[in-house]
Amino acid sequence: MAPETRTISLTVNGQPHVAQVEPRRLLVDFLREDLGLPGTHIGCEHGVCGTCTVLLNGASIRSCIILAVQADGADISTVEGLAQGGEMHPLQDEFSEKQGLQCGYCTPGMLMRACEILAENPDPSPGQVREAIASNLCRCTGYQFITEAVISAAARMRATKEEAAP
Amino acid sequence: MTATNRTGAPPVRDHSAKRRWVGQSIRRVEDPKFLLGRGGYIADRVTPDTLHAAVLRSPHPHARIVRFETAAALALPGVHAVITGAEAAQLCDPMPDFGPDPARHTWRCLAAEKVRYVGEGVAVVVADSRYLAEDALELIEVEYEPLPAVTDPERALAPGSPLVHEALESNCAYERSFDFGDVERDFAEADVVIRDRLRWHRSGGQPLETVGAIAEYDPGTGSFTIDTNTLSFTSYLFMAAATLKVPVNRLDIRPVPAGGSFGSKLFANKPAVIAGMCARKTGRRVAYLEDRIDNISNCDHHGSDRVYDVELAMMRDGTMRGLSIDVIDDYGAYIQFGVGHHGNALAQVVGPYTIGSVRYRVRAALTNKNQQGAYRGFGSEVNNWMLEQMVDKAARELGLDPVAIRRMNFIRDFPYFIPTGNVYDSGDYERVLDHALDLGDYAHWRDEQRRLREQEGRYVGIGVITAQERSVFSATEFWFWFDEPGAPVTSTPESVSLKVDATGGITAVLYSCAFWGNSPETMVAQLVAEEFDCSPYDVSVVYHGSRDGLPATGPGGSRTTVMLAGAVEGAAVKIKDKARRAAAHLLEITPGDLEWADGGFRVRGDPERKKTLGEIAIMLHLFKHSFPEDVESGLDASKVFDHPYTTMPSADRKDLGVFYPFVGHACHVPVVEVDIETGAVTFLHYAAVHDCGTLVNPRSLAGHIVGGTAQGIGTALYEEFVYDEDGQLLSSSFMDYLIPTAMEVPELIIGHVETPSPYTPHGIKGGGEGGRMMAPAAINAAVNDALAPLGVRLTELPMTPERILAALRAAGHAG
Amino acid sequence: MKPPPFAYAAPTTLEEAVGLLTEHAEAEPRVLAGGQSLIPLMNFRLAKPGYLVDLRNVAGLSGIRRDGDVLVIGAMTRMTEVERSAEVAVAAPLVAEAVGLVAHSPVRNSGTVGGSLAHADPAAELPAVALVLDAELVAAGPGGTRVIPAAGFFQGPYSTALAPDEILTEIRLPVWAGGHAFTEFSRVHANFAVVAVAALVELDGDGDRIRRAALALAGVAPTPVRAGSAERALAGAPAAGAEALRAIRAAADAAAADLSPAGDLHASPQTRRGLARTYLRRGIELAVSRARNER
Repeated sequence: MAPETRTISLTVNGQPHVAQVEPRRLLVDFLREDLGLPGTHIGCEHGVCGTCTVLLNGASIRSCIILAVQADGADISTVEGLAQGGEMHPLQDEFSEKQGLQCGYCTPGMLMRACEILAENPDPSPGQVREAIASNLCRCTGYQFITEAVISAAARMRATKEEAAP
Repeated sequence: MTATNRTGAPPVRDHSAKRRWVGQSIRRVEDPKFLLGRGGYIADRVTPDTLHAAVLRSPHPHARIVRFETAAALALPGVHAVITGAEAAQLCDPMPDFGPDPARHTWRCLAAEKVRYVGEGVAVVVADSRYLAEDALELIEVEYEPLPAVTDPERALAPGSPLVHEALESNCAYERSFDFGDVERDFAEADVVIRDRLRWHRSGGQPLETVGAIAEYDPGTGSFTIDTNTLSFTSYLFMAAATLKVPVNRLDIRPVPAGGSFGSKLFANKPAVIAGMCARKTGRRVAYLEDRIDNISNCDHHGSDRVYDVELAMMRDGTMRGLSIDVIDDYGAYIQFGVGHHGNALAQVVGPYTIGSVRYRVRAALTNKNQQGAYRGFGSEVNNWMLEQMVDKAARELGLDPVAIRRMNFIRDFPYFIPTGNVYDSGDYERVLDHALDLGDYAHWRDEQRRLREQEGRYVGIGVITAQERSVFSATEFWFWFDEPGAPVTSTPESVSLKVDATGGITAVLYSCAFWGNSPETMVAQLVAEEFDCSPYDVSVVYHGSRDGLPATGPGGSRTTVMLAGAVEGAAVKIKDKARRAAAHLLEITPGDLEWADGGFRVRGDPERKKTLGEIAIMLHLFKHSFPEDVESGLDASKVFDHPYTTMPSADRKDLGVFYPFVGHACHVPVVEVDIETGAVTFLHYAAVHDCGTLVNPRSLAGHIVGGTAQGIGTALYEEFVYDEDGQLLSSSFMDYLIPTAMEVPELIIGHVETPSPYTPHGIKGGGEGGRMMAPAAINAAVNDALAPLGVRLTELPMTPERILAALRAAGHAG
Repeated sequence: MKPPPFAYAAPTTLEEAVGLLTEHAEAEPRVLAGGQSLIPLMNFRLAKPGYLVDLRNVAGLSGIRRDGDVLVIGAMTRMTEVERSAEVAVAAPLVAEAVGLVAHSPVRNSGTVGGSLAHADPAAELPAVALVLDAELVAAGPGGTRVIPAAGFFQGPYSTALAPDEILTEIRLPVWAGGHAFTEFSRVHANFAVVAVAALVELDGDGDRIRRAALALAGVAPTPVRAGSAERALAGAPAAGAEALRAIRAAADAAAADLSPAGDLHASPQTRRGLARTYLRRGIELAVSRARNER
């Protein structure tokens, strides 16, 4: 007997999707396998490491402890949606400039969390950034160059905003 | 015993040439795909037709496997196979094992007759999805006959202990004592002997990405193709073919980017074997992707787990004379790398000091725990910690300043041969120390320490440690433990092929290398750019699988950059040689009249007569008849670069030869505050100065120093695989195995000193492990400095709040 | 670590939700709020409900309002909303401070107040807050609605007075006029608390004496506990100067002596008792200091 499924409708990186999912399917598996968006990674599957972080209606969530059915009607943002028109988001570019990544595995989750951090506070201090990214583990960088990347991305994003609306 | 005894060092090089690319902190060439979420890690390679494996793990630390009931699991829709350990023992031979006696401490991909630790796999299910596979695991019934377990290494070595491997007739897998130099004389002449007992508990790499493998078996060719995030391919992983019972040339292991390793993916062969076995059994493509509990409990890569009894023979003026070390290392239930971790210790056992003699007694204990593997430092970081603890204790007992006592014993003349026979190729330890004390604002913090204690009753401590970071291991450190080694291997090569295409573009092929967070592509791109005057971003770097790859050992012991540099250099020499002769022919001049400059060959004294690499390449690729008959088409070359400086151990093992010659050095100066009511340790400042020779990409190395220090902070304060007396693994998930967040890691003030190696291309030494090789020693030193006024000294890592408070209570301070 | 299979419904009314719990009782149903505690347990396969009733679409369970001297928070209110609420900051700053210490903000974005209370982790922050404020928890079941005082709500580790077919709908928190402090000791930033203390003090008219105190601890017992002996010792105690510090220290010592905490790999019973004493002292001192500064 085939397992029971539910229909969910959601938007991911601006694209609408309708899908049939088993209630137990984790959101991270739905994104990675059903939608072909493997940029969101799995680190622990018990909600501690933050590797699987995506934005749900603009707020960061841990997609390994959210069921896909809980995202019905939601607007999801993943790392695949950051670069626009072939150009990297300032956060992505600054992560490269400052070497805020080594193995890259925590990076998508860290980038999405950084988006939320800067949306809430466009001009954070290094201490504020460090405290905010404590939600996401990184085993490679020791967090220092990540903090530097977020600070310099924030400066660029503020400058762009000022240029657009002086 | 090997026939050839290489003698002497390689030639001393001239590093005076100006460098254009080596030394630049360029952006890494690897970054874009990872930033875009297109990393292509192993889990990203699952296709809709891939089946999924899940391993049933033992809940018992030690038990006979009596009976399986698998019918219900097999009957579950979507399940394709259930393989128990007994069947796996028929399908597969034992795992590759460099331990002392693999026939008697046999390691298999799944436990066959008995389980030896909580988490050991006893069966594997293959199903349409991981979800279904885990459903099926719950339907498997296993009858166990529990046996008494042992988790304390000293108890394991005591008579009457439960035996982890009955065939071994003991839980002591290896025991030997070595004397280097005149230990008796140094101890007899010493004014005082400093003694201590120290305990370092196991932690592990725990990268955020676990190990995974996707395997296919082609019955037509009898071949396996396995994609896996292992990092070592050609030179040693071929042994996995024997495990899978196929000829070596019927196994191809293909690299994929790895999400971190820190040693734990160096030789990640068990998931590959399990996936392969399942693929052959089901006739389908099968993925085995460890989950986090698989990886914590069953990863085969826990770190060192040591009990030290140490004596340091000193003169009253602070001169260090001799060192006597008695170490028990708890290897867990298997011992895949033998006691190679102690070779790492012996490579730099005296630290940066002119200690004249060393006694080293090592006992490898087997217990009912997951086995040790590799963790950044591979056992040398533990020696650093032990030695620096002893130096600080000596300073305290002799009433000497901890900085002065180090300075007065520094080695100053290089190359310097330490008592074990290994060599330190170059160094300037005073310069590193002075720079670290300066960056660390040492004098200011000593004042602050005093002020805060007197005025506010706060306990602040400063650690100053000076220690070595060896790089580029030789194979001898895995077998010089035995007078009659079974396999006295001497090859630890690394290979690179360089191909210049018809447009002059360069592709570099790497063979036993994958990407794991270090930056092999960037390293190679910068090295190739240095050779050929191109842009690093124009170099294409590809990774080659194991079957038809050139010999290569893979990362470990911080060897990769040095070995890749040697291979790139060697291949470049061959390419330039052929290109020179081709250019000479095209320019109608003798090869000796040409010089390499600005990306091509030009006539000496007549620079307008020149040929670029591209012009030479297109001719060689397409215009064979424009050259003499003996010239072959194309422009490519490979170099198999063997370890450039290895010498054999003496027969009596009083001299182990040179086996880790490129030795860097560092000084860490952390300032901590200890809350004596809670046992919490916080950082007020942290300076770190490293000298690992010439840096290829300084920013990249700085990133490794910070990351390694963060892991060292974990080892020093937070991370421990805790097994209780009954053998239960208490820290089995990230809820209890505590990895430092951004709030536990301070901002590091980093300094670089570059004392080039005389023996390597550009003077490069390896440095990727350095941060973790220093931090635990430094942090322990700082905590002890903070608590010294209370008569408290911590000698056990990690220094958890529990241990700190217990020590305070024992010293009469209510906690 | 994938969860086991279960049947699932996302009803739109409370009556429907309660009805489903009753109807599917033999499947051992669980309520799904934010899932931040439940889903990890299911991924570990330590919890295997056969039926999950998701409250995400049920109207009327979320929101924050002031009702005279009571702050009412809907059970499905996300913790982030509580953390940022101006209403909560004024009426129940202890709640705001405690919520800010629950895990990390991504967890608080999904996690709910009701979910944390119903989960009843002995080391959790919100149960201690409910207890110290003498909150009332409102539950809806097949027989109607009932009000459960916090003192009787938490019955054991992960065990509450809620019947299997009851759903927590709101929590009613008396507004406390005075000083507050929520402090906790965790090994790693934002990790679960080893010991947590919720402290409330009300000063007399001059601010020289403590009129009354309410103290609760988490992580030291199978449920959150009130530190009754310390509360009694502090009633009438000085609120300023060295005498206050002595009185607070004595009260903390007395409370710690009452405790028999369990041990685990993070802290022995003795260490937990010591941490409780330390954090009680620090928490009370901070609450008193805030009370005095607000005058």
